[in-house]
Amino acid sequence: MAVARADTLQTVELADGVEIQLRVAGPAVRSMAYLIDLLIRIGIDLGVVIGAFWLLPSLIGHQMTGGLVMLFAFFMEWFYNVLFEAGAKGATPGQRSMKLRVMSVTGGPVSLAQAVMRNFLRVVDFMPGLYLTGIVCMLFTKRFQRLGDLVANTVVTYAEVPLSLSPQVEIRAERRAPAQVLTREEQAALLQFLERAPLWADERRIELATLAVPLTQATGTEGLRRLCGMALWCGCKTQKTNAGRRHR
Amino acid sequence: MTPAQFEKHIEPRWQKLEKLLTEAEQSHPTAAVEELPATFRQVCHDLSMAQHRMSPQRLTQQLNALAIRAYRVLERHSAGGWEAFLRLFLVEFPQAVRADWKLFWWCTALFYLPAVLIAAITPSHPEWSMALLGPQGMMQIESMYGESSKPSDYVRESFGSGFGMFCFYIWNNVGIDFKTFAGGILGGVGALFVLLFNSLQLGAVFGYVHYSGNPLTLYTWVVAHGAPELTGVVISAMAGMRVGWSVLRPGRMERRAALVLAGRKALPLLTGAAVLTSIAAVLEGFWSPLDLPPTIKFAAGGMCWLAVACFLLFSGRRQSDEA
Repeated sequence: MAVARADTLQTVELADGVEIQLRVAGPAVRSMAYLIDLLIRIGIDLGVVIGAFWLLPSLIGHQMTGGLVMLFAFFMEWFYNVLFEAGAKGATPGQRSMKLRVMSVTGGPVSLAQAVMRNFLRVVDFMPGLYLTGIVCMLFTKRFQRLGDLVANTVVTYAEVPLSLSPQVEIRAERRAPAQVLTREEQAALLQFLERAPLWADERRIELATLAVPLTQATGTEGLRRLCGMALWCGCKTQKTNAGRRHR
Repeated sequence: MTPAQFEKHIEPRWQKLEKLLTEAEQSHPTAAVEELPATFRQVCHDLSMAQHRMSPQRLTQQLNALAIRAYRVLERHSAGGWEAFLRLFLVEFPQAVRADWKLFWWCTALFYLPAVLIAAITPSHPEWSMALLGPQGMMQIESMYGESSKPSDYVRESFGSGFGMFCFYIWNNVGIDFKTFAGGILGGVGALFVLLFNSLQLGAVFGYVHYSGNPLTLYTWVVAHGAPELTGVVISAMAGMRVGWSVLRPGRMERRAALVLAGRKALPLLTGAAVLTSIAAVLEGFWSPLDLPPTIKFAAGGMCWLAVACFLLFSGRRQSDEA
């Protein structure tokens, strides 16, 4: 069974052998982006309808104008998202405003074919109303993919990973070796804890440190102190091994 | 090497990559972007290094974001423009139909057989058609193709009204094609539903017009644009069924992979169906309303059916070796 994850990072291996991490976006933020796009589309549609029926009928007649408006509505309905997503930015204006981006699952940009697939299937994702199918599907896939995303092999990710601030704070704790052997992931988690702990309130640090009671055998401030000590020990150890590798 | 030293060591590289990327993202990059792939690979290497050494998150996140950005630039592919689109329609679309000929005939049968059946039983049991059409549909048909109607009733004189109708057909019919395809993902049920629904309606209209109207008016009107339009309906349902079938019977593949593959296979079909329906919209907007003798209409209509059949049978055969 896969290990339950606490974050929404998805690891993808690129052709160059390196692993990159995509932060996939959930239903809430995507709904916001959709609503913004909807408002923009309604605005454009209204503007075009009013503008066209104000200016054009005297020039080309009512029927031609009606036809042109209908053609425009058709393209807006089916190709608004497609053109923006397959474009250079990989995002519609609404998605861009929420700092989202559509990507291929492989980490590359979305091709026109993929953009067509994921957007034409909106009809089904919308059913029976308010994108219910799509949202349920997103909740059951680990990359938050709706049906259109599954067929097109795409994900919606955050365009920019927010750079975490790391205040330079000296953490005073006695280095201590953990009582049991830690895996690399566990060591990484400890190091990250140490890195991010200065950003949190005391209560939060203690709350998180309490999760590691099986390791620290202590609760409260004492547990936090021990955890920080072990993290320092791990950091010191990785530095040593790296240095050792360098010499060899 | 301490983490700080490592960071300092790799910094010039990712700064160089950042500069190259900013240049490459502009419309007229300089010659320096030729170094982009090599620099990208170096930074990728640095990223794996940083990940392995459990470097501070700040550094790995920065490198990660940079690698994603560079990969997007390197993997950017142009869609190929009109040439690619023409190839998709003229070569890949008929090839895709022929490659899936079984599915094509199934969808064709599911579309035409119920229609013929309904039309055939209408003379003896008109209540079936009447029930399908409803009172309003029957009234509409009486007014359009009733006994007193003539083929020349549908003549549209102005270019404007023809163009208006053409746009309406694009908006309505091509939209229905797209929705039919999308409905297919529900195990093919959506596509099947649209197919059968349209089939029964079509059969009811033809049956009812034969029963109590003037069939000549109907046939001279639909014979030409019917060829691409009905074929478009069948093929858009076929594209939907291709995707739906991969959900039901993924074969030896994982369902998710089968779905992606089916989506790729369905795209030429969907494009072809949309183009056929657009051609039908042109014919329905401009050709069908012309005031011409029925013989000419039937001759042209026959040509249309023949052209669609020949196109699906023979177009893109020569290119199949290259593809």
